[in-house]
Amino acid sequence: MIKNKLARKVFGSSFVAAMVVPAIALAEEGTTATLGDNVYIARAIAAGLAMSVSALAAGYAQARIGAAGAGTLAERPEAGMNLIVLQALPEIIVLLGFVIAFMIGTAA
Amino acid sequence: MSAVATLQRKSNPGRDYGYSNARVRGMRARLFTQAYLDDLMASKDISDVIQVLMQTEYGPDLEERLLHGRTAQQVDEALKDNMVRKFRKVLGLANDEAYGLMIVLLGRWDLFNVKTILRGIHMSLSHEEIEDSLIAVGQLSHVDMVELAKQPSVKALVDTLATWELPYAVPLRAEMAHYNEDGDLSVLELALDKFYTAWADKSLRCRRSNAKLARRFLGVQVDTINLLTCLRLLNADVEAEEVNRFYLPGGLHVKEELFSDLASMSDVDEVYERLKRTPYGRPVEAVAIKYVEHGSVSVFERALEDYLMRRAFAAGQGEPLGVGIIIGYMWAKANEVTNLRIIVKGVSVGMPVERIKEELIIV
Repeated sequence: MIKNKLARKVFGSSFVAAMVVPAIALAEEGTTATLGDNVYIARAIAAGLAMSVSALAAGYAQARIGAAGAGTLAERPEAGMNLIVLQALPEIIVLLGFVIAFMIGTAA
Repeated sequence: MSAVATLQRKSNPGRDYGYSNARVRGMRARLFTQAYLDDLMASKDISDVIQVLMQTEYGPDLEERLLHGRTAQQVDEALKDNMVRKFRKVLGLANDEAYGLMIVLLGRWDLFNVKTILRGIHMSLSHEEIEDSLIAVGQLSHVDMVELAKQPSVKALVDTLATWELPYAVPLRAEMAHYNEDGDLSVLELALDKFYTAWADKSLRCRRSNAKLARRFLGVQVDTINLLTCLRLLNADVEAEEVNRFYLPGGLHVKEELFSDLASMSDVDEVYERLKRTPYGRPVEAVAIKYVEHGSVSVFERALEDYLMRRAFAAGQGEPLGVGIIIGYMWAKANEVTNLRIIVKGVSVGMPVERIKEELIIV
């Protein structure tokens, strides 16, 4: 599980933001919640989670790759180009998260 | 260990091995290949060897040492300097967990150094002569060891160790009375060995996977020492009750019972049979014919050294974010320096290439 204090805080606040922000947005509209509103809220929460969790995962992966990449560069500068590719790979996780969030948000 | 004799390094808390292991892997990639060593062995003389080594990472160390003369002795010193520098670098990179584990494993070098100083003082050698044999890759720095080597007597050495609050003073003090009685240095050396293996085994008792790996590796080292002691005792006239006195605790497969069994056997064939059920059966059996030809225990010593080196390399090929990478590199580096020293000595005295090859430890 997440042991690092900072990582716990970041993950917790992202989770809360993903849950609370859509609810506040809806509450501000001042409408009484109906079945359609509940579905909308659930979708917003799901899309927020898909985006935030994938972004956190990509950030974690990039941090680890970055640390190892810095170590490799210090000893073998010729491996620089390979490291840039490796460093960019986790971005795919965010892109997938974005696509899933988009699909959830626009589903009929 | 004491505050006096500790390596100066910044604390690196946590257990993140990403950065340090990447650097160590980079350093490992620069270790010499077999083909490179073959070329080096084919050098005509020591000048050729120096010329080739100057193009490598040994260059800066050679430059410094060669100011004192282009001799095999100076090249040897430069190789040792490089090893010390690399070990210090790796220890500086390691996080606190890896540093703690490596200090325990590298304690064998401290032990080696303390024993070397002890022998030197016992034999009334000058401190310059003792210094030539020291390698400061453990926790004791070169300055600490020079100070120890300058002590006028074994008693003064033990007192200095005690003043510096080094743990090696404890077993030495306990056995000083015996040493003073008959002047037998082996009593002190055995006490030191026993103290180190027991201390290291205790220090590495932990549930973490890295500590377990380090303990397994320490266990193999202790096993090889115990096995060699058994093989030597085969030809020695030692009472059965006396045998267990030489047993070192902390082994992985060779426990006290097996040790006394092995030591009580009459010939090497029986030892093979008894060792078949342990991982040491195969390496010992592989050199059996060679032993019959040479009749020297050094054949087994060599086979067990090779096995230990294989285990060190295997440790570096497991968990990529663990201490195994560091263990693997340090032992591979020590092995490379040992091989280079053999080549330098061999080439300088005109030894045939085949003879040098036989002496190398290549895994």
